[in-house]
Parts: sequence; structure tokens; C-alpha cells
Amino acid sequence: MYTIHTPEGTRDRLFAECRERRQVQRALTALFARRGYAEVSTPEVEFYDLFLQSGSPLPQESMLKIIDRSGKIMVMRPDCTTPIARVAATKLKTLPLPQRLFYDQTVFRSGQAHKGGSSEIAQCGVELMGAAGQKADLEVVALAVDALRACGVEDYHVELGHVGFFRDLAGRVDMPATVIEQMRLLIEGKNFAALNDLLEPYAGQGACKALRRLSRLFGGADVLDEAEALSGGSAALVYLRQLYNALSKAGYGDHIRFDLGMVHQIDYYTGVVFRGYVEGAGDAVLSGGRYDNLTEAFGRAAPATGFAVDVDAVAGCLPEEGAAGLETLVHYKADALDRALAAVDAAPAGTVELSPCESVEETVALAKEKGARAVLVLEDGIERRVDL
Amino acid sequence: MSERLRIALSKGRLQDKAVELFEAMGLDCAPIKDPGRRLVHAIPNYPLEAVLAKAPDVITYVEHGVCDLGIVGKDTILEQGKSFYEVLDLGFGRCRFALAVKEGTNFYGTYKTRRIASKYPNVARAFFEKKGMDVDIIKIEGSVELAPILDLADAIVDIVETGSTLKANGLAPIEDVCRVSARLIVNTASMKLHKAAIDDFISRCERELERRS
Repeated sequence: MYTIHTPEGTRDRLFAECRERRQVQRALTALFARRGYAEVSTPEVEFYDLFLQSGSPLPQESMLKIIDRSGKIMVMRPDCTTPIARVAATKLKTLPLPQRLFYDQTVFRSGQAHKGGSSEIAQCGVELMGAAGQKADLEVVALAVDALRACGVEDYHVELGHVGFFRDLAGRVDMPATVIEQMRLLIEGKNFAALNDLLEPYAGQGACKALRRLSRLFGGADVLDEAEALSGGSAALVYLRQLYNALSKAGYGDHIRFDLGMVHQIDYYTGVVFRGYVEGAGDAVLSGGRYDNLTEAFGRAAPATGFAVDVDAVAGCLPEEGAAGLETLVHYKADALDRALAAVDAAPAGTVELSPCESVEETVALAKEKGARAVLVLEDGIERRVDL
Repeated sequence: MSERLRIALSKGRLQDKAVELFEAMGLDCAPIKDPGRRLVHAIPNYPLEAVLAKAPDVITYVEHGVCDLGIVGKDTILEQGKSFYEVLDLGFGRCRFALAVKEGTNFYGTYKTRRIASKYPNVARAFFEKKGMDVDIIKIEGSVELAPILDLADAIVDIVETGSTLKANGLAPIEDVCRVSARLIVNTASMKLHKAAIDDFISRCERELERRS
């Protein structure tokens, strides 16, 4: 006895879901290739140690594990960046930097049961390995905006933050490390009230004013002004403003916003971080940032930045388009195969199909059952159309 | 402000308090108080519509973004985990999680593995993990007080308001686990996509909360 349903978190995707997923993948991979990124593909199964030793920010309970015959712990690829950093630092180590790499593959996560989340997530993304500084960040952020546009969604924006701003402020207050971590969690969760309470005892310290506001510092470029006024300035803010000016000048300004309270995975990211939002999706659909310390774990230190797009989340926001329905069945004698195929190939995809039936009557019956509107009969050199 | 936000309210005790808060904020709550057969209640004088749901569903609706905002107890948030913004402590619906045992028993006076009954197994587990204690946790759906009485469990972790239910069943709270109250939660994407509308709603809430304190 075997079970005929799919495991929790996995699903069969039929027709429109596949079409929309493919549409997003095509748009993204074409864009990435046009910008000089080359595709790489990594194994679906990797050693657990790879993610452990490189300091991956993923919690171990979210990785799907397998034990191989020798007793080694393997995981189903839980993220794309770590394996690609491994490739860049090993197989590609003799190539000159920077390397522009893109991927179109699935990551696996063991999510919480019955939350409606998927444990197979199709991701398309890029990694720009071996380039530091403003131009590298500009290139990748602009690509993130272009990526959302290319997908065909209507209302979208990319939000920038910088882990340096939080680190700078936290470094200015005299506070135990445990409180700093508590504060970080409250800022990340935008827990306005609890953050205020936590910081009450430190209210006398200069940077506190900015930290108390940090979870609210998101929105348009004016949040940079507010952050500057509150903090008395910070290198991270100067950097974000330079990015913003350059992006605005290139016409990206309308799709750029800021969230200075983006303080997730603070030990992993080392600079600019960003997320993309699309009207219709309940969470960010694009996520990325600078991670300069990752590849060092694999023997070749290289500054890097990149992002991943959650393909199905974006596909879910596309305006619904019905597929072309079947219109005509082609009934043909075996010697008219060439003409029959020509008729199928000439029509829009999915509108004309070959009939496998032996008699015209059977074909007509089949055409009616499938909802086609006509049968094209090709036999003995003649061609006639039967409208239903 | 043309966009209409949608808020999910926890049914029951928190619902009445939430309506009280909304009315104090100047929102016309007549459609919520007299729902008829409708399930979605549009506020006539503010771009907001409300749906009523069981507390855990409030979190689900907000996490999936079908509701932009939600009002839910911290007890439910602690039990369900979270991927949303928890922006405000609304100050009402205050109570506490407590560890309660049969009156007169010494819960900590043995090395035997203790068995804990709770409607909130995750809260109970986190509490004992922090203490470094191994316990067996049993999920109970209904009256948790019954479990120690029937000797199914040595203790319970449950919401305590006045303690009278515990007392009537011969149980006594021996330790606070944590305090809880109603929270305003926001979907992470809505917060960004409808910032102006959500800011307006939050600041109205804050003004009223400030007035109350």
C-alpha cells in the first residue's frame, strides 16, 4: 500500500501554475544573461557541514536532512548562495574576479506544518562575486528593480537598508550584548511599544533617540533625512544617499524606498541589504544584500553581493491569463502526417491537436468531449473542415 | 487615502475591547456591533473593514496578507510563533500565563520527570527549556484544570485572570510564566505597500492609548 498524496509542503503544479512560473523564470534568466551573468547549477543534495561551517544564517531545523550510507548528514539544498560561494571559491578560483553568476533552481525548507507555506521554493537569483563598493551595489540593486519589472508585475518597489547603521548606533550605547540582541529582534519585528520600553533605561544616551525610532524609519528618501537628524550622521546613511542619488539619476528613484530597521541576519550581511515587494504578495518576494565574509570560509576571500527572487510568489501576483483553449482536432490518414503536423504548427500553441482516432466519427465525438469547435479532416489529398 | 485596510479581530473578549478602542478613536463601529449576516464589516467613516475570526486564524490571515492588520492576544502570538510585525501593546485583555499545581503539592521537590498539561504546549516547552528541565508536555484542548485532578499531569501552564477557576478546582498558581495582553499586528508587506494608511491607523491608536495612560 502506498500513499497517493504528496508530502506536506510539496504539491503538484498544473497548467497555469507551471506556465506562470515558467514565464517568470524566462523573464528573469533572460535579463540576467543579458547583463552578463552566467548560469550555474549546484547539486540538490549537499553536506550539512557546508552550511554549518560557512556560518549560514539558516536555522538547522529549517533544513531537510538525509543520512547517507556512511552516516554523513546531507541536506536538500536549503539556499543557493552558499553552494555558489563554494563553487566560486573552488572551481572558479583561477578565473579573474568579479564573477557574475545566476541560478534558477529550487531550495528546500522544512516549514511549519499547515501554514500553507511551501517547502519547495523556486528561486531565481544572481551573485556578483569579487566586487566591493558602490558600483557593485548599484549594479545589483538596479538589477533587482529591473528583475521585478521584467516579471510583469504592476506595483513594485525595492527597499534598501544597511546593517552598518544599526551596528553604528548600537556601538554608541553602553548596553550588554544580550540587550542589544533583544533590541535587534524588536526592531526587526517593528515592535514599537516594546522597543520603547526596552530602551527607556538608556534614554540618557545620545544614540538612543535614533534607536527608538529605528523600527519606524522606513518609507521614501525622507527617512534618510530623519535618520541623519536623529543620529547626527553615520557613514551608512551617507552611503545609502549616494546610492539613492545615483539610482534616481538612472531613473530608478520611483521604485526605491528605505527601511533602516532591516536588521535581519546581522551576522551574515555586511553592508547594503534589500528586499523587493509586489502588490498582491503577503511578504517580500525578493531578498538580498552584501555578504563579504562568506567565501572566505571556502578558501578565497571575496566581497560579494546578490539577491534571490521567490519565483512562485511573483508568479502569484501576475494578472491571470487564460491559456489558449483547444479549437480544432486534426483527423488525418497516416500518409498526410506532414500536412497534419504543418496545420498544428501553424496555429497558436494549444489550439490545434492531432486526433489519434481511426474514424472521422470517433474524432468528432472526441472533439465534442474536449470542447473543440471544429475537426479538420485530411485524407486522400483533400482537406475539409467539419464545424461542430 | 483611498485604499481600504482590512483588520482581523479576535472574537470574544478582545473583540468588545477592540470595538471600545475603535470608538474612542472616532471610528463608527455600528456594523461590527450589529453584524447581521455579513462577515466583512466596513467602517462607514474610516477606510477600514473588519472581519471577526478565532484568535489563531487572526495570525494566519495577517501572515498571508489577506488582512493587513490584526488584533490578537500575546498568548496566541507566543504559541503560534510569528512572521508579522507586532507593533503595539494595546493594553487591554491583560492576564498572565502561570504554572499551577494541586494545592499543597511541592512541584519542584522531586527528580522525577514531571508531566505538564497545557493548551499552549509551545509556551510550556519554552518555559521549561529556559529552566533546563525535562518535562513531558501534553496538549489539552478543553478544561486544562481537569488534567491534574485526574492525575494525568503534575501541573498545568495556562492563562490566569483572577485565579478563581483554579481555586474552585483545588489548584494554585505557583509561578508566573509571562504576562500577556492584546497586540496590534501588521502584515510585513502591507506595512510597506500601504505605509500612509497604516501609519495613520497606528498613530490614531497610539494617541488613544496615550490618552488612556
